[in-house]
Amino acid sequence: MIEVKNLVKRYGDYLAVDNLSFTLEKGRILGFLGPNGAGKSTTMNIITGYISSTEGTVTVNGNDIYDQPEEAKKCIGYLPEIPPVYPDMTVREYLNFVADIKKVKRSDKNKMISDIMNMTKIADVSERLIKHLSKGYKQRVGLAQAIVGYPELLILDEPTVGLDPMQIIEIRDLIHSLSKNHTIILSSHILSEVSAICDEVMIINKGKFIVRDTPENLSKHIGGSNGLHIQVKGDKDIVQNALSPIDGITQIVYEESNQEGIVKLTIYTGEEIDIREDVFFALSDVRCPILDMTSTSMSLEDIFLELTQDDEITNQGEVTDQEEAANQGKVTNQEKVANQEKVTDQEKVAKQEKITDQEKATNQEKVINQEKATNQEKVINQDKATDQKQATDQKEAENHVSDL
Amino acid sequence: MLAIYKKELKSYFTSMTGYVFIAFFLCIIGIYYVAYNLVGSLANFEYVLSSASFLFVLLVPILTMRIMAEEKKQKTDQLLYTSPLSPTSIIMGKYLAVITVFLIAMAIVSLYPVILLQFGNIPLKIAYGSILGFLLLGAAYIAIGLFISSLTESQLVAAVVSFVVMLITVLMSGIVEMFPKDNKSALIIFSVIVILICLITYVVMHNITISLSLGIIGETILMVIYFIKPTLFDGLVVRFFDWFSVIERYNNFLMGMLDLSAVIYYISIVFLFLFLTVQSIKKSRWS
Repeated sequence: MIEVKNLVKRYGDYLAVDNLSFTLEKGRILGFLGPNGAGKSTTMNIITGYISSTEGTVTVNGNDIYDQPEEAKKCIGYLPEIPPVYPDMTVREYLNFVADIKKVKRSDKNKMISDIMNMTKIADVSERLIKHLSKGYKQRVGLAQAIVGYPELLILDEPTVGLDPMQIIEIRDLIHSLSKNHTIILSSHILSEVSAICDEVMIINKGKFIVRDTPENLSKHIGGSNGLHIQVKGDKDIVQNALSPIDGITQIVYEESNQEGIVKLTIYTGEEIDIREDVFFALSDVRCPILDMTSTSMSLEDIFLELTQDDEITNQGEVTDQEEAANQGKVTNQEKVANQEKVTDQEKVAKQEKITDQEKATNQEKVINQEKATNQEKVINQDKATDQKQATDQKEAENHVSDL
Repeated sequence: MLAIYKKELKSYFTSMTGYVFIAFFLCIIGIYYVAYNLVGSLANFEYVLSSASFLFVLLVPILTMRIMAEEKKQKTDQLLYTSPLSPTSIIMGKYLAVITVFLIAMAIVSLYPVILLQFGNIPLKIAYGSILGFLLLGAAYIAIGLFISSLTESQLVAAVVSFVVMLITVLMSGIVEMFPKDNKSALIIFSVIVILICLITYVVMHNITISLSLGIIGETILMVIYFIKPTLFDGLVVRFFDWFSVIERYNNFLMGMLDLSAVIYYISIVFLFLFLTVQSIKKSRWS
């Protein structure tokens, strides 16, 4: 359906897209994920032929976007970051115009437009001027515009921006139903959204390809270490001494506790080692009661942060993005993120100091190797309970959103 | 192309622009018409158009400033350039829409000489010849305005730059008279122009080798020509700058001549600037 090969886009000295290649089959939904300035929009602009690449090719349905632009563009519907609407037109006039420039047949036009308006729920504003519409409605008009002509490939740049939670769910459902007849590429920096809609996720950062996999596999594979979050009543030193002889612990991260005499910590282990019993007995030997114990596997948020923060130079943009991601996470996964936010930050600093070089070099390899090596193992080894837990978590998250 | 044309034409008349342009245009021409033909009892309609030709400097920027700049500002250019339309058909659709607005105004103006017929004999051929010249002049100015509008996303900048450029083309015939006519100063002036071109290419392309080699080649060619045949430079400055004096060629129409070279000049200006507009769109995709 679409093939992108060795895409490079340079703005002067700045490398916006760095050697990006991917393909997508018909009927799949691919999510582009990355922090602000990762090159998501640039890539989409190149695929749709709005800007040209410095190097590399884009082929849509066998038509090169540069050599056969008309054929290629016919197969693409594009919703850019800012919906390209004319403020002085009514919604119906606008969609009519779009149908004309997309060369929709005159006989199909009216039916198509009213169908699309019903799909995107803008039929009730069809006679209003676009400049009088709210951001959410403009966004939906933009989406309607992309669907006009029923192109095989839909490219949606942050389709749910500016919508309220109710509308977000509606648009998600719409995208789901569209995927029956269309191939969809959408971008987002909101992780829960991508994992909810997409068949596959592709994470890019600073124009570079980082990883591509299904959302489930991503959270399974990349985790690497599993965490055990516990609260213990007792002294920090005693706890530390008690835990040190246990095998398989790779790292212990202590959190600041606001309660006197309570130690909060997260223990990280190697891959598939269950240390819960050991921890329990070790702490009960020194008479430190465990108040709370939760196992934490890496959520998509953590993976995202891990993968996109390889470089030590964390600029301002990324920090705010991290916050945004964390906020979004709170809605979907309040408990987890609240606990992990601090931990991951601390962990990251510690980790990075130790193994930045290694990590950098092997991160991509790691992903691929792990994928291959652990694919089979994990299916067998993985605790079925955690799978179920993840599923219920997700359901809860959905409910949470709909409550809002 | 038709879709773009219809949409553009409609937008001129849903906003004030189209009405303001036509009203202002007819008002000024009407004033001259009354003063010269009705009150002054002159039989020559071409005098009206001759006096009104400064109108283009004021009105064309208003008409053309929004064409491309507004699309860029609203980001609707993303819709157009990602649609299956070629840049050429987008530009042609837009250009023809502006021309249509201009033609609506001119259609009304072309009735004026007929009205004069009831007062006696009127040199209709000269009158309509000058109207044709006026049309061509307007078409050329609109193409220039369209090109300038495609360079910026600010309507104000587009309007001001178009205004200045058109003012220069009008004033050029007067300025040219002041330029020196001897060959030595011609050489100096052209050398300066070559250096300016080099600077511009450097600013645009940031490539020092291209600009430098361009400059060296240009200067050597000038020098070689100067030493071989210095008479070629006699009066070259005047001739060169006269070329930019778009309005100068219009005078022949006023004298009742159907000057074919002027017709070709205007048509080539139109095509040159439409071509440049398409190129500037294509180029903006690269940078």
